[in-house]
Amino acid sequence: MSRRSDTLPVPSGQTRSQVLRDQSIYTQLLEVMWHLQQTMREHFVQLMSRQGLLQERRHIQAIREQEALLSRLLCQMINLLQSGATSGLEPQPLSSEDSRGDVRYGQGTQLAGQPDPVPQLSDCEATFVTRDLSNRGTDISALYWSSFQDYNAYQKDKYHKDKNPLGFINLGTSENKLCIDLMAERLQESDMNCVEEALLQYPDWRGQPFLREEVARFLTYYCRAPAPLDPENVVVLNGCCSVFSALAMVLCDPGEAFLVPTPFYGGFAFSSRLYAKVELIPVHLESKITAINTYPFQLTVDKLEEALFEARLKGKDIRGLVLTNPQNPLGDIYSPDSLMKYLEFAKRHDLHVIIDEIYMLSVFDESITFHSVLSMKSLPDRNRTHVVWGTSKDFGISGFRFGALYTHNKEVASVVSAFGYLHSISGITQHKLCQLLRNTEWIDKVYLPTNRFRLREAHKYVTAKLKALEIPFHNRSSGLYVWINLKKYLDPCTFEEEQLLYRRFLDHKLLLSCGKAYMCKEPGWFCLIFADELPRLKLAMRRFCDVLEEQKQDLIVKQLEDAMRE
Amino acid sequence: MFALPQKNFRAPTTCLGPTCTQDMDRSHGDDLEGECSRKLDQKLPGVGDPVMLSSDTSYLSSRGRMIKWFWDLAEEGYRTYHMDEYDEDKNPSGIINLGTSENKLCFDLLSRRLSQSDMQWVEPSLLQYPDWRGHLFLREEVAKFLTFYCKSPVPLRPENVVVLNGGASLFSALATVLCEVGEAFLIPTPYYGAITQHVCLYGNVRLAYVYLDSEVTGLDTRPFQLTVEKLETALREAYSEGVRVKGLILINPQNPLGDVYSTEELQEYLVFAKRHKLHVIVDEVYMLSVFEESVGYHSVLSLERLPDPQRTHVMWATSKDFGMSGLRFATLYTENKDVATAVASLCRYHGLSGLVQYQMAQLLRDRDWINQVYLPENHARLKAAHTYVSEELRALGIPFLSRGAGFFIWVDLRKYLPKGTFEEEMLLWRRFLDNKVLLSFGKAFECKEPGWFRFVFSDQAHRLRLGMQRVRQVLTGKSQVAEDPHPSQTQKPSDQCSSAELLKLCFSPGPPSPIKQN
Repeated sequence: MSRRSDTLPVPSGQTRSQVLRDQSIYTQLLEVMWHLQQTMREHFVQLMSRQGLLQERRHIQAIREQEALLSRLLCQMINLLQSGATSGLEPQPLSSEDSRGDVRYGQGTQLAGQPDPVPQLSDCEATFVTRDLSNRGTDISALYWSSFQDYNAYQKDKYHKDKNPLGFINLGTSENKLCIDLMAERLQESDMNCVEEALLQYPDWRGQPFLREEVARFLTYYCRAPAPLDPENVVVLNGCCSVFSALAMVLCDPGEAFLVPTPFYGGFAFSSRLYAKVELIPVHLESKITAINTYPFQLTVDKLEEALFEARLKGKDIRGLVLTNPQNPLGDIYSPDSLMKYLEFAKRHDLHVIIDEIYMLSVFDESITFHSVLSMKSLPDRNRTHVVWGTSKDFGISGFRFGALYTHNKEVASVVSAFGYLHSISGITQHKLCQLLRNTEWIDKVYLPTNRFRLREAHKYVTAKLKALEIPFHNRSSGLYVWINLKKYLDPCTFEEEQLLYRRFLDHKLLLSCGKAYMCKEPGWFCLIFADELPRLKLAMRRFCDVLEEQKQDLIVKQLEDAMRE
Repeated sequence: MFALPQKNFRAPTTCLGPTCTQDMDRSHGDDLEGECSRKLDQKLPGVGDPVMLSSDTSYLSSRGRMIKWFWDLAEEGYRTYHMDEYDEDKNPSGIINLGTSENKLCFDLLSRRLSQSDMQWVEPSLLQYPDWRGHLFLREEVAKFLTFYCKSPVPLRPENVVVLNGGASLFSALATVLCEVGEAFLIPTPYYGAITQHVCLYGNVRLAYVYLDSEVTGLDTRPFQLTVEKLETALREAYSEGVRVKGLILINPQNPLGDVYSTEELQEYLVFAKRHKLHVIVDEVYMLSVFEESVGYHSVLSLERLPDPQRTHVMWATSKDFGMSGLRFATLYTENKDVATAVASLCRYHGLSGLVQYQMAQLLRDRDWINQVYLPENHARLKAAHTYVSEELRALGIPFLSRGAGFFIWVDLRKYLPKGTFEEEMLLWRRFLDNKVLLSFGKAFECKEPGWFRFVFSDQAHRLRLGMQRVRQVLTGKSQVAEDPHPSQTQKPSDQCSSAELLKLCFSPGPPSPIKQN
């Protein structure tokens, strides 16, 4: 036994395996090319064939799938060619021998054998051509890196007033950092620290019963439910994105879609795509006030109908509608009337409605009342209405990883629980959450008033700055963000320019979110999170002003140059 | 920002589509769920068939309906067990669970440690969005911990560590990023059966079995020995059936065999994998639960040279070794940056609380407590419990396997099955349950031979004694039943259904389930 393993590293063995390896690459390459040929032939046949209207949808679908397959095959070919090319040029076998402690194995290991003259691909591209991942693994990685590389840069270079004064300030991630002192204090109280045997053992995957009971009580009280909510309708997972991912799995098949009014929080696009492969179809709202648009970005049933119609025309299977209330990034709150209309629209078309009420306790304008969908006397379609809430925003503890689903549909609740063991929360954390939610006295008398006051103050500070800069913005009532219009700093007003401006903020170590990330149709919008401590917020706003000043100067120079040229 | 791979979004290879149903159906064709579905089918036409199922429930997607179908089986089992759970005072005649692999021997030590003041730390960064790979302080601690306890020849690196909320999540994420829909991992059987669901639920990845048997012949020096020849055969068979195999899953120390692989064996398996460009996932979740000193356990991370370090991925968790399955903490160690990054990309869905991450770092850092208090005591208690159960078995003249690792003994009850069928195995299991002791039967581990059972011994002495007493009652009264089977219990279709119901009890996808958890 040991003799056999001893003979393994002998060079001749390696050479042989190398030859085999190369051979297999070429065989694979041939295979892929053959596939490519087949697919292209089919593709052309499909493109040329005309079918009846009924077939139209399937026709488009087939074409789209073939196109995707074509690009996938091309991608595979590139991968193979690359690995083949490298092994051809490299005398040493590239499949890695033991590399532990070996400095060469740092970045982009799949390119380890690549000859020097070939330019190194960037992280993101490198991820894209790896041989070790599945195609979907590559997609997941690429999607993640393309969307989160700046966030990761921030994680590595966070601002700290003493240790890293030149680090990134993040006004792009929706986190409430205003009440961390209160939360830290509360979490250190003695009732929080409990280690019971049951908490260390395998849990009920829907969430510990004590926590589900508490969540039901909590939502009954704060959502003003007409009747006590049932703990059996609660499923507790490690974050709202997990809830969303599980819902997308059980409500949709791959390639099916949800409607979402945009601008819309981009994180959900993620949750539906990474695992579940569910698409989000935007219902584009507009900033301009017109006869039908009585206020900016108004959602109307007409727009929903239109979007649904168009999506169906394009062959999309729409399974539901996703609403965020209070809205992110607009900060608007749906009136009970409009909410009812959206729900009736959904009922009319047998659509599920997922309502994300994660900012429900972050309404800081006291003159405005938030109406939870759970407060309605009767829901148009109880079995297709699913409510999501979590502690991340309202309690500023995104690091806790807690999200809850409330649905009257027992079937949905039960199937989402099947995902419980992939999205479970530590028993110890469940205990803490239960204690937190149970203490309504502290929440009502200490936490919420303070939180609202601080949100209001921070909002006031930021909006005063924006007014001084004459920057139009949205949101005067809820959430952690303002939705700002920087169109006047873009010339021309395009998404490319928006991206450049975003980069410029980054260069000044300021992270914002641009409208594109919220699937906004109009370029030039940004989301600015104001729920940060005042000293940091002040510095951030200084950087913000600097960037815009710089941008303005550039614009003037550019306009002058244009004028000169003319 | 979200634009990049959109063009690939609808690629058929990543779509479950309507084929999902077929795939799942096919992939489960020869395993238990499939069998169960066939049996149910005979009794209740339409219920077992996912396609027919789709017509009567209108709220779910077709994959949702499939998942529901599996989960309902699990739910039912879960309820049945939990309705009658043993409690010393409240329900002394309730069911004793020797089926779930949990270490209930050291709660006193753990609760004391976790209640110390250093565990109660709260700081802002712990409450905010984390680095999705896990907080750096924890990854550093994990790297040091694994370097030490896995006896790594070189220091392991924090950037190769990804932290998730449990081994199930890690299997799910790895399956998704390493395999396409319908592709497979090789796994030697008997194995911890819940992996089937872990890799299937999101990933739609299947398992290709490397069947091992108990007979010692020819090249095999001990029962259920894994050899490269068997791996080669299984791989060939999978290919001939058109199944694309992407990797190999090894559990070391093994569950349910309670055995460990020698370094030479490990090396051979790894070389085999390298030859076929297979990834190897090595699940070392019981690595510190080797309580017999004579057993020389070697982590794959202790090897001087890994044949294919870029395709070797190691899993570890605190669930077993620290008896905290409810804490939800697991870690991946891989030198493959792409794999680490891809798994980390899914960590948004598998994150754990910052406060728990802090606690874990404190725990793993406390080498003095681990080495001087926890491990010696844990091993002593495991050994005592193991001794008790194995002596009971010897007294009954029952053969078993267990070399001193893990929480379980793999028990050979074949002599109690006159015909040696899985139906009889099921009936015997049912007898145990009727006598209020829950065990896991071999079929749940895809064991090829009917008659093997897994006994979990890592429980408090009073429960263990009572459990073994109940086992003894069944086995000593057994012969009579075996000689005189009620015809109705094995023949009629209605009773086939009842054995399907039994299956429901066993093949629940996750832990609250009485049996199928690790």
